[in-house]
Amino acid sequence: MSITQHQPEAGSVKKSQGKPKPRFGAGRSEFVVVAVLYALAVFLTIGTVTMKVQGKSAPGPQFFPILVCVVLYLVATLLAIQILRSPKVPDHSIHPGHGQFSADMLHDLGHLGKEEDAAFEEGLSATPGKTWKTYTDWRTVGLMLGGLVAFVLILNPLGWIISAATLFWVVACALGSRRPIFDAGVGLLFSSITQLAFGAGLGLSLPSGFIGGIL
Amino acid sequence: MEQLELLMGGFASALTPINLLWVLIGAILGTAVGVLPGLGSAMAVALLLPVTFSLEPTAAFIMFAGIYFGGLFGDSTSGILLNTPGNSSAMASTFEGHRMAKSGQAAKALATCAIGAFIGGLIATTLVVFFAPTLVKMATVFGPAEYFALAVFAFLAISAVVSESVIRGLAALGIGLALALVGIDGPSGTSRFTLGMPQLFDGISVIVITVGLLALGEVFHIASRIHRDPAATQIDAKGRARLNLADFRKALPAWLRGTAFGAPFGLIPAGGAEVPTFLAYGTEKQLAKRRSDPEFGTTGSIRGLAAPEAAANATAGTAMGALLALGLPTSATAAIMLAAFQQYGMQPGPLLFERSGDLVWALLASLFIGLVILVMINMPFASVWAKLLSIPKHYLYAGITVFSMLGVYAVSSAILDLWLLIAIGLVGFMMRRYNIPLAPVLIAVILGPMAETELRRALAVSEGNLGILVGSPITVTLYIVLAAALVLSAVQHLRHRRANRRAVLVS
Repeated sequence: MSITQHQPEAGSVKKSQGKPKPRFGAGRSEFVVVAVLYALAVFLTIGTVTMKVQGKSAPGPQFFPILVCVVLYLVATLLAIQILRSPKVPDHSIHPGHGQFSADMLHDLGHLGKEEDAAFEEGLSATPGKTWKTYTDWRTVGLMLGGLVAFVLILNPLGWIISAATLFWVVACALGSRRPIFDAGVGLLFSSITQLAFGAGLGLSLPSGFIGGIL
Repeated sequence: MEQLELLMGGFASALTPINLLWVLIGAILGTAVGVLPGLGSAMAVALLLPVTFSLEPTAAFIMFAGIYFGGLFGDSTSGILLNTPGNSSAMASTFEGHRMAKSGQAAKALATCAIGAFIGGLIATTLVVFFAPTLVKMATVFGPAEYFALAVFAFLAISAVVSESVIRGLAALGIGLALALVGIDGPSGTSRFTLGMPQLFDGISVIVITVGLLALGEVFHIASRIHRDPAATQIDAKGRARLNLADFRKALPAWLRGTAFGAPFGLIPAGGAEVPTFLAYGTEKQLAKRRSDPEFGTTGSIRGLAAPEAAANATAGTAMGALLALGLPTSATAAIMLAAFQQYGMQPGPLLFERSGDLVWALLASLFIGLVILVMINMPFASVWAKLLSIPKHYLYAGITVFSMLGVYAVSSAILDLWLLIAIGLVGFMMRRYNIPLAPVLIAVILGPMAETELRRALAVSEGNLGILVGSPITVTLYIVLAAALVLSAVQHLRHRRANRRAVLVS
């Protein structure tokens, strides 16, 4: 939620209480990042090798991609080693700006002491009593992703107003709204206002779909 | 005093009724996204960039000026009232700010923030007006090697020096550079990584990348935790936000000290206001200890809140100077502003003052106007802004999702861009989940093409001799400073790792 919030790794807490030896995968889900980095690097490598180079400039168009590839392979490998050596089970540390800033560095710069740490703890005292199998709530994320994919698929045939209202409704319901019928109204209102303000007002081209054909 | 004349010209074009309306809209939007946790000026500009295409550039930039400072006016509100800072730039002001709120001085704390942000921004923008021409003159001696050194400096400073983990920072940098490579290579005309799709010949639009990472990624992140994280309790900000003379006299030196910390950091690509705000907070803490201030750390000291607030806006102010005069974005928000200039076909840097001087001075004038409007709408209505914190989250994020789709589709009317947007949104979600910083991606996407062009140009001139990259005093200085900063941060990391290990052994 917020940038500074502690992030209890729900599932792993349970495991460390139950079995003495945690699973290999526990706290190592960051391998997803390694996989993405390798995939990107391989894609760039294939693209660089098969590139149809035009012109004969001295450092050609393949020069910079090679540098980027080297960086990606190196970083992915180092990240994999780091995850293997120190899995994050459970991660209770603070990550200012999602890792943009080193908490230790800010700690030193601000001469922070116990009082400031306590002030943070206080804001987070209401840690959830329940634990979950995964840190991420995949059901909600999945619903949202489904809503987005459906939106892209129906945008051209059904037009902006209907598809945007549907997307609004799906996201609102997924994020925990309890009034589906009211939300459908809010969604329709929102999509109609955006169509009027940005389509008619500012001249953006939004698909009108079959409604536009009828009118 | 040529600058004053030009600035007056800028005021003349910015002070028309319609342009005032744009500043006001920008200021309101900026404050709103600042107040709401997790949103910031960078996301607001990214979301609005596509829908403002039909405006003339001056009107759009006048609005962006309001958003730019507005995000920093609002960001301390949720920190003060909820003890959860809305952005990491407000972390340092949360300590004393929330203590003041708990001891019944919430309204006073909010007023201190508004005036602090005003003073910091005002002094910094004034400095920009007077020193921008000097910066421009400096930048005219820059050749390809110097620009490449500047880009490398920005890349590594943001991804490796200040970040939590060097590896994750560099990973973000790599992702950004890779995204920037897609498209037709300018110098040779070669199509790179486009899979033969003509829609990709122009590259992946910066709008798709920024909206995906900042807006959609944030919504995915919220979705992943909304049913699990506990809600914070809010303190009511009752009463008029007013400072009496005694408070003012106490806070004024702190505001000025904060500004002094913040202003130089706008020129350094250290990723934004976090480093100077913590420096300012630390200084106030030391000073309070020396004069044994009883309020600091107990009921909340107005000084401990005033200094970081002023520092944050001073950083933003001078960052605008570095952006306009050198074309160097020093934070994520500045990077998005640079992208905005590029969308309108302008390239910030020394030539901008010559080619679009009118627009630059109108923008600088509207930064001043924006600050005045912001302090006017923030001082008396601070408690009204706090009401934004009670908007139901599901409507807020549903609206942001729809708006992201609207903006990206409006730019190109291409379904492919929407698929790319969802994919990049998922990447943004993954990066937030594993605390991989986003700023290096944005800086890399925006400065990457420049770095590549300048590197190839330099090597073409020297016929492949790498010596040209360190062939001038400016480049050598930049690389030495960068190396020193990297060594310092490595020592810092190692020291803390050792201390942590010892702590583990003891316990």
